[in-house]
Amino acid sequence: MLMCRDLAVIASDYIEGDLPLTQRLSVRTHLMMCRHCRSFVANLRNSIELMKGHSDQRLDDRYARRLDEEIERALASQSKDGSGPDQG
Amino acid sequence: MPPTREHDDEQQLVLRLQAGEAAAYREAVRRYTPGMLAVARYYTDHSSAEDIVQECWTRVVSAIASFEGRASLKTWLHRIVANQAKNSLRRSQREVQTDFSEALEPQLASRFRSDGRWSQPPQLSTRETAESLLENGALGDCLDKHLSQLPEAQRSALMLYEAHQRQSAEVCNILGVSTSNLRVMLHRARQKIFLMVEHFQETGQC
Repeated sequence: MLMCRDLAVIASDYIEGDLPLTQRLSVRTHLMMCRHCRSFVANLRNSIELMKGHSDQRLDDRYARRLDEEIERALASQSKDGSGPDQG
Repeated sequence: MPPTREHDDEQQLVLRLQAGEAAAYREAVRRYTPGMLAVARYYTDHSSAEDIVQECWTRVVSAIASFEGRASLKTWLHRIVANQAKNSLRRSQREVQTDFSEALEPQLASRFRSDGRWSQPPQLSTRETAESLLENGALGDCLDKHLSQLPEAQRSALMLYEAHQRQSAEVCNILGVSTSNLRVMLHRARQKIFLMVEHFQETGQC
């Protein structure tokens, strides 16, 4: 029988839909009977959502401008060599 | 790749990049650099990661002509960064160390009795959504702090997966980790966030 600790180990796989059918059914049966594990799974889902919206996706302005300048230099030297695309 | 609006946008962007349009590069830099940094930071520290990504963008200027669209532009860029980072790593003799033999965080593992039932069950309500949790600005700051304390490899794999790629096969390929290691890495990081939110809600402290 699936115990709470076993469920905690495979909870991410359950959330991602990566469990084989028999294991998925065991998890569902366990969740129907155990409010602690329901709470654990619901809050683990929240953890995933929290991280999706995390600020790591912001790009530092100064760094972005530094990249723009480097790229413009590379584009200019490519067009001077005649090796790159026509920028006109 | 199915013909989605995102796919069409990307194709347009690729054509503009291939034509050497500077504005297209500015757009691509802002769209793709955060994910590229997440890849580089799996292998190295923050400042070296920025240098690696910068080097990659200048390489992209000459390499974009050969982009054939077999993978998405994002995945293609991530692979370039991973290769570049691996080469730099070889040069500096550094190795990425990850040990994820245990699927449970010790702090969570200790909350079960020997028969496998909870001894200290979760204290969180199931009604709170991530959105409502994030309305609390202090919790957002606490999340920043805890994510920044994760081991670098774990944090960047997590950000790459949750925020940029969402396909475990691609993430494994780019970072050179096995599927099982990636799963454990993600699961352990999520547990840490779970424990952080629980502590924050119980005590109001980060």
